[in-house]
Amino acid sequence: MVLFASRDAGTRSLRRARLRLRVLMAVFVLAFFSVGLRLVDLTTGARATKPQVLSLRRGDGAPDIGRADILDRRGVTLATNLRVNSVIADPSRVNFPERAAHRLADALGLNEAALLARLKRGGRFAWIKRRISPREEALVKDLGLPGVALQPDEERVYPQKNLVSHVLGFTGDDNQGLAGIELAEQDRLVGGEAKGKGPLVLSIDVAVQNVVREATMKAFLRFHAKGACAIVFDTRTRAFLSLVSLPDFDPNRATREPSTNRQNRCSGHTYELGSLFKIFTTAFALDAGAASLFDRLDASQPLYIGRHPIHDDHAKFRWLTVPEAFAFSSNIGMVRLIQKVDDPERQKGFLRRLGLFGTSKVELPDTRPPLLPRRWPFITQATVAYGHGIAVSPVNYVEAVASLIDDGRFRPGTVLRRGLEDVPPGEPVVAAKTVRDMRWLLWLTTDRGTGDQARLDRYLTGGKTGTADKAVYGRGYVKGAVVASFVSVLPVDDPRYLVLVTLDEPQGDAATHGFRYGGWTAAPVAAEIIERVGPLLGLEPSPPEARARMEARLQVYPAMNGHSHETEEGLAAVRLDP
Amino acid sequence: MATQIKSPERGLAEKLGALRWSLVLLLALIGGIGCAVLYSAGGGSAQPWAIRHGVRLLVGIGIMLLLAMGSVRFWFRWSYAIYAVTLLLLLAVEIMGEISKGAERWIDLGFMQLQPSELMKIALVLALARYFHSAWLEEVRNPLYLVPPLLLIALPAILVLKQPDLGTAVTLLAIGGIFLFLAGVRLWKFALAIGLGGAALPVIWGAMHGYQRRRVLTFLNPESDPLGSGYHIIQSKIALGSGGFWGKGYLQGTQAQLSFLPEKQTDFAFTMLAEETGFVGATVTLGLYFLALALALSVALRASHQFGRLAAMGIGMNFFLYIVINVAMVTGLIPVVGVPLPLISYGGTAMLTVMVGFGILLCIDVNAQAQIPRFPTEL
Repeated sequence: MVLFASRDAGTRSLRRARLRLRVLMAVFVLAFFSVGLRLVDLTTGARATKPQVLSLRRGDGAPDIGRADILDRRGVTLATNLRVNSVIADPSRVNFPERAAHRLADALGLNEAALLARLKRGGRFAWIKRRISPREEALVKDLGLPGVALQPDEERVYPQKNLVSHVLGFTGDDNQGLAGIELAEQDRLVGGEAKGKGPLVLSIDVAVQNVVREATMKAFLRFHAKGACAIVFDTRTRAFLSLVSLPDFDPNRATREPSTNRQNRCSGHTYELGSLFKIFTTAFALDAGAASLFDRLDASQPLYIGRHPIHDDHAKFRWLTVPEAFAFSSNIGMVRLIQKVDDPERQKGFLRRLGLFGTSKVELPDTRPPLLPRRWPFITQATVAYGHGIAVSPVNYVEAVASLIDDGRFRPGTVLRRGLEDVPPGEPVVAAKTVRDMRWLLWLTTDRGTGDQARLDRYLTGGKTGTADKAVYGRGYVKGAVVASFVSVLPVDDPRYLVLVTLDEPQGDAATHGFRYGGWTAAPVAAEIIERVGPLLGLEPSPPEARARMEARLQVYPAMNGHSHETEEGLAAVRLDP
Repeated sequence: MATQIKSPERGLAEKLGALRWSLVLLLALIGGIGCAVLYSAGGGSAQPWAIRHGVRLLVGIGIMLLLAMGSVRFWFRWSYAIYAVTLLLLLAVEIMGEISKGAERWIDLGFMQLQPSELMKIALVLALARYFHSAWLEEVRNPLYLVPPLLLIALPAILVLKQPDLGTAVTLLAIGGIFLFLAGVRLWKFALAIGLGGAALPVIWGAMHGYQRRRVLTFLNPESDPLGSGYHIIQSKIALGSGGFWGKGYLQGTQAQLSFLPEKQTDFAFTMLAEETGFVGATVTLGLYFLALALALSVALRASHQFGRLAAMGIGMNFFLYIVINVAMVTGLIPVVGVPLPLISYGGTAMLTVMVGFGILLCIDVNAQAQIPRFPTEL
């Protein structure tokens, strides 16, 4: 009975079984088809993946051959390649590894045990020695070992050695950029010759760089500084003509140099720059209309904010005009100025427009963002006004000052050569009148103020000194340690260049009467740089009329010989805006 | 009642004549491609892989022909016993692994290392074929009737998963699932099982090894770790892409020859083939596999007895799963689970499994008209 029932139901079940068999076969075909489609996609489709740099980073890929040269702005070679050979081996083809290792180690001066281990590890590829000399090449060829071969390779050479080290950076074993412009422009440089892109041209000028490095090195050694940074910046193209960070290193043997030498102190370090910030405070107050050059500020006694006293280093114990407060670098005067605005948001906005709230956009990989105060109560506004509680990199600082003395517009700086037509339009920061006033104040400071050590006969310059107590992260201000700096404008009546010199922890000596002030340590370096670089850059001496125009704005009483540091002199006010 | 008439046994010459030589030739051809690929993987050298692969291929073909000359009733009669022995081997491997405190997957036979999990694929097919041979389709509706096959599937799958060998475990489950599907189990039961499986996913995730989890995560986003667990699949895709339409030429595949491509002699052999011979070579190879599969299915359709139909179907599916999982894996369609490409990848047990499987398949074909009673007691 069961049998009949099952027979009857069986036909239906059988039909279903057949149907399912067909479905299954369809699935088979579909699966093959979809895998086939995927193959089409991977091998010929737009998504076909090409071998990438990925393999390069592993260090066992083909080295990057044909890397583009790097030139300075006049076409002097800063980095180039030499065709050399490397010795490689196919361990599976080396017949007697022991004998081969012994002979190769002998010929190439290698560790025999390590070499043998590499040959015995198997596989199809092993480096024996990278970048051998012609003599070594001859020796290897004479050995004639099976499985050992020469492979064309390249050696990155930096003929200027230490001179441009921090801007250039260096490359690793497989010619991949590891620091500096070599890293930042890696994609542009890789296979540059093959891609027909030609060499990469920097804005750096080797002749200028050489002068800057020599002058800075002298001060760096003389004052036993921990570090130094010196910059020459073209204010019109906003390009770095020179960027020197000391101590430096030889990029030809970079990995064997101490890592502290490889730190770029111009872009990768932030400093509290002290009085150099007074440029921003004064420009801010003037541009905001909160003060004019005719205003007087009470600097007759130390100023208390809460219980916090603010002193002047070059105290006059009297009321000062705004030009006096700037030229004599009065902390109290700056606090009085910021008091006139007393709006943290406007102060922050001003600094932000100068690019001081973000990392510099310069094409260097090791740039540091500024260290900013977390809160902005009045005490913060006051300390920022004279350059404390805020730390920026020298590169950031130079970019900001250039916008105040050139045309009042902010533009990021570059280390790549660019003509005037390639300069971006930039963002407006201050009015043209503020720019004129700032140029005059800077001239005044070198002519009669704290920066008189940088006064020159040939060129009319302006500048500002700065001596900041050094703050170290996590330790606060270090007793006795300062950062001494000087920023200089050349020529001040029609600025073309900015020169910044920063010395990290200089020690005063007998000749400076033990002073470590920027005016005594950094300003003479800037003066030497300007004296020598001016003619290199084809800068004509400033005409006498330029000085006359500057002095025309000045009313001095009593008229004393104001060329020495100790002499006091009162600058009543600006006579008239010419 | 089923008839008791014994089908007359054919003579050896008759059997050889009835043998499907086209299938034998096809498998030999694919194995030959395997030798060529392994010659290239060895850097243009017969050592260390190509020569041994060739020897194994010849031995495998010998075993296949030997099995093809046998009696299909032998396989029917001993199917449960074979399953039991293989399960014991799996257990033995598991216990040995416990003792040596490591993942043990094989038994060292001296001349080769035997992986019971591979043999289990054939044993499971035979056991299930025998079970459903005796089952009328409508009986499948009774849920109790499904308990024995579910146990047959679950026991080895769990043991293999514990080894841990995700690829083989998935293959075993897939074979079992396809058998149940063919046997007519209602679709809502599959839906229920899939639903339960989905609900159990968090539990499974918790029980997975760190490296297995990484593989799944890497599959979802291989670029997340290009030098770590994503390295295999990215390199594989690069090699496939750089092969292009015509390939770089035999022995010229830079990605594989310079050892960027990992496991080029085993799981990623297909990638190497595709890099050197391009889309054309890869498609031709896939086409040969498809042809072999189609022949296997025609054997299944021709068999007059349910056991032969099901066993041939199962062996064909096993072959199919190897190929599709491997190729889908190297093209990045599914996670890297470690399934070789049959007859091309270097590896003894996989070759043996495929050859034994096709031996049984050929045997079924030769004895297509044999009669096997529904109940074994009647034999």
